Amino acid sequence: MTFDAFLDGTAAVFMVVGGLMSLAAGIGLFRFPDLHSRMHAATKPQVLGLLMLVLAAAIMWRSWAWVAIAVLAWGLMILTAPVSAHVVGRAGYRTKHMRADLLTDDELASAVDRLSRQRGVRREVKD
Amino acid sequence: MSMLDWAYWISQFLLALGALCAVYRVYKGPSVLDRVISVDVILIIVGSVMLVDMAYYRHTDFILFVVVTAVIGFLGAVAIARYVVVRTPDSEDTVRQAEAQAAALNGDPTPEPEIPAGTAADGAQEDESTSWFAALARSGFVPKRKDENDDAADPASSRREKP
Repeated sequence: MTFDAFLDGTAAVFMVVGGLMSLAAGIGLFRFPDLHSRMHAATKPQVLGLLMLVLAAAIMWRSWAWVAIAVLAWGLMILTAPVSAHVVGRAGYRTKHMRADLLTDDELASAVDRLSRQRGVRREVKD
Repeated sequence: MSMLDWAYWISQFLLALGALCAVYRVYKGPSVLDRVISVDVILIIVGSVMLVDMAYYRHTDFILFVVVTAVIGFLGAVAIARYVVVRTPDSEDTVRQAEAQAAALNGDPTPEPEIPAGTAADGAQEDESTSWFAALARSGFVPKRKDENDDAADPASSRREKP
């Protein structure tokens, strides 16, 4: 078995694993009961699946310059994925797009209650 | 078929299955946030299909799409998440019924009444840094807005003169 064949086999395994990640995201989106668990499933192809496929492409290209660009694409995705996840999760909690009966413990509830109460009180005092 | 051909077709098939499930969630999803995250997943899967194609045929034509997707792909979700409507009361009623059922299963048949704002009953979960504010709000103190003797036209100057 030559080194070339070894690299091809590694890239093939990475490609299949990346495909499995996106399949896992699809099954998660299909089956999970509420928004936040679906968000948990949706991050799989964003981070791990993209890493696997980027590595497979970089191995197949056999060029260090393109490795840098491929890793740059993955790094930018790592930087921007938490932003949208944070904003969507926050909006989902604040607008009650979630199943509170599925939670075992809601640690955010007391803080949100207190803040909204204070904001109402503060408006009362000012006017 | 070599090993790489098998990997190519298997991974494309798996990516297509994932995209189909995401499309189902876009069609079915109860809220706009579900649709937003599903559309994001579809975008990522399209980029992944391009990456697999680039790996198999050893070309770099689509790498710009992947990079640009990584940079600006999150903007749509952020923009839409600002304008989500609070969920309607009828769907909240089903949640409340489920909560009452869970409470009945746990042993207390009556659900806890909602504590009104500013009563003394909520002192248990106050922390020290904000308790002065809650006490101030509970006392009903209203600061005097302006003095009747001064002219009401310039409140800033009157506040400056009175210590």
